[in-house]
Amino acid sequence: MRRLIAIIERDLRKFLRNPLVMVVSIVMPIIYLLILGNSFLGELKHLPVAIIDRDGGSFAERVIENLEAIERGPSTIATYRVSSEGEAMRGLKEGLFKAVVIIPQGFSKHLVKRGSAEVGLFVDNTDVVSANTLKTALLSALGSTAEGFIAVRERAEGVRVRTIEVHPKIDYDQTLIPGVVIMAIFLGALTTGVFNIVMDRFLGTDESLLLTPLTRTDIVGGLVISGLVITTVLALVVLVLSSLISGIYLWNTLSPSGFVGVVFIVMLSTLSLQGLLFIILGRADHPRVVGVLGGFLNVILFFPSGAVYPVESFPYLLRLFAWVNPETYSVHALKAVLFKGAGLGAIKGDILFLSVFALFTIAVAIATFKREL
Amino acid sequence: MEDVAAIETRSLVKRFGNIEALKGVDIRLERGEFFGLLGPNGAGKTTLIRILTTLLMPTSGEAWLYGYHVVKECARVRHLIGVVPQATTCDLDLTARENLDIYGRFYGLAKKERTEQIDYLLKMIGLEERSEDLVATYSGGMRRRLEVARALVHRPSLLILDEPTLGLDPQSRYMVWRLLKRLKDDYSLTILLTTHYMEEAEALCSQVAIIDHGKIIAVDTVEGLKKSVHERDKVELRLEAPAGVDPVTTVRTLEGVKDAGLKEGLLTVTVENSQRGLPAIFEALRKKDVKIQEVRTTHLTLEDVFIHYTGRPVRDEETRKVSFFIGAGVPRKWGR
Ligand SMILES: Nc1ncnc2c1ncn2[C@@H]1O[C@H](COP(=O)(O)OP(=O)(O)OP(=O)(O)O)[C@@H](O)[C@H]1O
Ligand SMILES: [Mg+2]
Repeated sequence: MRRLIAIIERDLRKFLRNPLVMVVSIVMPIIYLLILGNSFLGELKHLPVAIIDRDGGSFAERVIENLEAIERGPSTIATYRVSSEGEAMRGLKEGLFKAVVIIPQGFSKHLVKRGSAEVGLFVDNTDVVSANTLKTALLSALGSTAEGFIAVRERAEGVRVRTIEVHPKIDYDQTLIPGVVIMAIFLGALTTGVFNIVMDRFLGTDESLLLTPLTRTDIVGGLVISGLVITTVLALVVLVLSSLISGIYLWNTLSPSGFVGVVFIVMLSTLSLQGLLFIILGRADHPRVVGVLGGFLNVILFFPSGAVYPVESFPYLLRLFAWVNPETYSVHALKAVLFKGAGLGAIKGDILFLSVFALFTIAVAIATFKREL
Repeated sequence: MEDVAAIETRSLVKRFGNIEALKGVDIRLERGEFFGLLGPNGAGKTTLIRILTTLLMPTSGEAWLYGYHVVKECARVRHLIGVVPQATTCDLDLTARENLDIYGRFYGLAKKERTEQIDYLLKMIGLEERSEDLVATYSGGMRRRLEVARALVHRPSLLILDEPTLGLDPQSRYMVWRLLKRLKDDYSLTILLTTHYMEEAEALCSQVAIIDHGKIIAVDTVEGLKKSVHERDKVELRLEAPAGVDPVTTVRTLEGVKDAGLKEGLLTVTVENSQRGLPAIFEALRKKDVKIQEVRTTHLTLEDVFIHYTGRPVRDEETRKVSFFIGAGVPRKWGR
């Protein structure tokens, strides 16, 4: 135990001697939040939408009002009333409009009679990002018009009809927060723990460690624990800062048990990633290997985690990968606690998975650690 | 237990792929000995030391330290040895005291014991005043001395040093020598040291083994090694001999003289020991009225012994290597 603590202390002291590492580990995920958040928001603003109202009834008015409300509110779209269908379609082709909404004749009547009606939606599919966003925004505008379904017939492509559930609105850069935190955790885990042994190996200082009676468990365990301390602190700082930037005041929104939940998830995620990285990088002897593999792993783990795109809409194989990806569970749990006010109970499954994953990977890391030159 | 050797190896072999770094090494080190392992670059010194210090597994053969098997009882062995590796391995972003303290904790030493020992060691290596500075700010010699101190934190029975003065200037080297001598004299520590500095082996070691191409080719005291070589000290005298006097026959019969020859007024005499032989030579020549104008003596050095055994001077690549090793953080991979 004394030896393990000595390893931890050695690592923490060395870490604190290089404050730049700390600053970079905090600043990078936040810059990521700003760039990704803003670039998405930038693209998502003022998308031109042509509206053709052939109905003129009260429900058509309602739909248009909703669309205009989006224009005034999050300003995702800019609406243009157009009278001729031909003009609208030409505009769509020429890129003047990103979408055309056609409310057909008899729309209000059908809605009253059958409880459902159709709206024509033409989307410029060449711009995938805005097409998807537009669909979401327009569908939400239509959805809140009536209790029932409104079938949307998309003539540009045969997309399924989706029902829209109305949720408390979350800004896009707020939804990025779990991703930013998990990225901070990944960076933290990558630059502590196994990285230190790779660095020691590279500099030759591992020789002095291996000469002593330190066991595998002392070395791996000590580095993992010091990495855990550093990463948890970094990730929490990143969480608080990124929340502030996107206008959430955690002390108002987070209950004490929610806070405990967040810390717990951060710690388990760190341990999981440390274990995984230790297994993958445990025998590397050059920091460049860590750099290359680290960059690769970051992308491979991050994008299928549900931090940016919902896991549910992945293709089958990617979903399968997401299912064993620890970051998926971290993101899920963080989202639940941060945005849905869930307590520990709601994230039991995530905690269980992460605990098992962490224990397993760290055990393998210790067992496979090469305790010789 | 009484007659257990400090180090004993039996036909140690180590292969790295096709390279056979050790080709059956047998050495025996008694307790209290100061043993020097002398060999050129790539001879296998570091490889041997790494096996003895449990860092590498031998391909075949066995080794014991104080009776403990280096593979099967590696945990025991690690407590017994203090090691100064070839490349600097101190943490540059820690202070000297932190380096020593954390190292002491790796051995499970209690706080009080550590503090006492560290204060003592810092004084001994003359780094008390700089002990709170980061090692990154130390000179090469200071780092080396710190490494020696670190190897002693847990009071090992056996100190093993791999080229401890490599890349140091003569002054720093001398300081390390003094330190080692003191450890040997005052604490009768058993010491194994590798070097390719002849002066170092001559100045420090009671026993010297010459290793080349992964094989031990000679083991003896420095004196013994010199005796085993046929070359002897040489005395060269420039003289003016009166007609009828043959200087060669005059000196050849003297005690300790092995050979003599005259060429263009230069008499070359091979003697057992030039210091003892010279007065007799002078005496004999003066009696015959030979005028001595100039005298030059060359001593047989370990270098000659080395060349005798290995067929090459030890310092072939030294300059390149030294410049390579100066400064810390030499990637071991390339240091080998
Ligand atoms: N890890 C390794 N992989 C491959 N070859 C190695 C390795 N370590 C040592 N060798 C080889 O083994 C031989 C002996 O190397 P070693 O380092 O023991 O020599 P040395 O006597 O310590 O030399 P030096 O005076 O340069 O330190 C060399 O040919 C070297 O290239
Ligand atoms: Mg060597």
